[in-house]
Amino acid sequence: MDMAIVVNDLRKSYKSKEAVKGVSFRVARGEIFGIVGPNGAGKTTTLEILEGLRERSAGEVSVLGFDPKKDGRSLRQRIGIQFQSTSIQERLKVSEALDLFASFYERKGDRAALIETLGLGQYMNSQFSKLSGGWKQRLTLALAALHAPDILFLDEPSTGLDPQARRDIWALIQQFRTQGMTVVLTTHYMEEAERLCDRVAMFREGAIAALDTPKRLVSQFAAPKCLTFTSAEADLSVISALPSVERAHRDGDAVWVYAPDLQEISRHLFAVAHERHWTMEAFRFEVGSLDDLFVNLSLEGETA
Amino acid sequence: MNALLRLASVETKLFFREKQAVFWTFLFPVLMIWLFGAMFGNQKIEGFSYSDAYIPSWVAVQLLTTSLFTLGTTLTGYRESGVLRRFQATPLRPWVVLMAHIAYGLIVFIMSAAVVFIFGTLAFHLNAPKHLTSTIVAVALSVCALFPFGLLLTSLARNTRTAAAVSSLLLNLMLFLSGATFPLAFMPKFLQGVARALPLYYVIDLLRQTWNVSPITSHMTDVAVLAGLCLVSSVLAARFFRWSSEV
Repeated sequence: MDMAIVVNDLRKSYKSKEAVKGVSFRVARGEIFGIVGPNGAGKTTTLEILEGLRERSAGEVSVLGFDPKKDGRSLRQRIGIQFQSTSIQERLKVSEALDLFASFYERKGDRAALIETLGLGQYMNSQFSKLSGGWKQRLTLALAALHAPDILFLDEPSTGLDPQARRDIWALIQQFRTQGMTVVLTTHYMEEAERLCDRVAMFREGAIAALDTPKRLVSQFAAPKCLTFTSAEADLSVISALPSVERAHRDGDAVWVYAPDLQEISRHLFAVAHERHWTMEAFRFEVGSLDDLFVNLSLEGETA
Repeated sequence: MNALLRLASVETKLFFREKQAVFWTFLFPVLMIWLFGAMFGNQKIEGFSYSDAYIPSWVAVQLLTTSLFTLGTTLTGYRESGVLRRFQATPLRPWVVLMAHIAYGLIVFIMSAAVVFIFGTLAFHLNAPKHLTSTIVAVALSVCALFPFGLLLTSLARNTRTAAAVSSLLLNLMLFLSGATFPLAFMPKFLQGVARALPLYYVIDLLRQTWNVSPITSHMTDVAVLAGLCLVSSVLAARFFRWSSEV
């Protein structure tokens, strides 16, 4: 497969600590690749090394065939970058910002289409400082995508946005991908990673703890092993005695039952409930999510 | 090239969007000339009329304030707020950023110098420069010496507050000790020696002399000092340029 990014045993150490400890991964062209993990896991450092803004201590990095350490400037002609919190000149108008940043690049993208896609048209004469958070984020996304880059690096693109603005940004990122861009993004939001990313690398303490498609990560590490319902009458001792139940607990009327085969245990549960005239409501299987995995991995990290 | 022109024109536009800054930048020298005119207006200063001695020196001061405050404050602010960091994420080169700011400073300076010149002519019968070409070359050389000097200082300052403090200190020091406000002849020998260590002294001397007395070729000491300052501060400003305030 045609690779946009190849990273081999990347390391970065500062005076007193190692921020990135031997990270390897590849990103295919046209992929949306997510980097998730708690603060201080080395996500941003890794991103900045790929962008050529920070020097690596060891390892090999190739981005679009360039070594970011040597050819940073040529590389930046072909990548677009959005920082976590970007600031441009406060009183700069949207249209002026677009013109200014366009003048930095040799390649020109389709400016009109970009403005249309991002809905920036109505704000062309507004100054940056007057825009709301969501619109600032759209503008900085536009500034990153203005020159039709091959790779878009987005550092927490939707942090601090309201749910609607966040969904809009997701739709835009997906649209950029359909135009052929490769997208690498970091995020705190597992929902974002699940909805948006083809593959996700989970960073923990400067290393990759897991790397796969969101679906497979969930089924591998956070598969549902638990069902839940509410019932006033349900008797935990009866439930625990059912075959293959690992454990059960309750909190008020809510009951959780852990078992390897949830379908099998459901059959038993409904039978018992019928015999004993328990009323069961809100019955459902707990669906595992990247959130669970994220918390699991973070906890493991703390106890390790 | 396109990027350089865009950046310079954007910065100039942004400057004029800060109405208060514009007002004070242009009003301050006029106020000072008027104030000192009220004190020394009828005296001969080192053999020159008030306006012939002071207006060239206020042009020089204006050059220094543009360098330290207009340019310096903008650039330090950009470093602190992450604007420069955003530029770093593009193919933009550091010298393009520096040159664009110098070009923008030059535009602001030329306008304020014009204000000073017109006010001096109207209110204090300022004579036109005797050696116009020499004066223009002198001004150009002074720009080349003082602008990179200002940019260098802001690269070294850790944040806006430090930059403002250092700039104020330098401005006040030079304002009072390099003959811009009080004639050096009033001062003890020791302070006259200090004056010769300040860049503004040479700028003022060169401007006054070419304006009133003799062409630039008769003032090669001033020229040499300013050319040296230009060279050293340009090299150092490029060397110590930083995109972000983190170390």
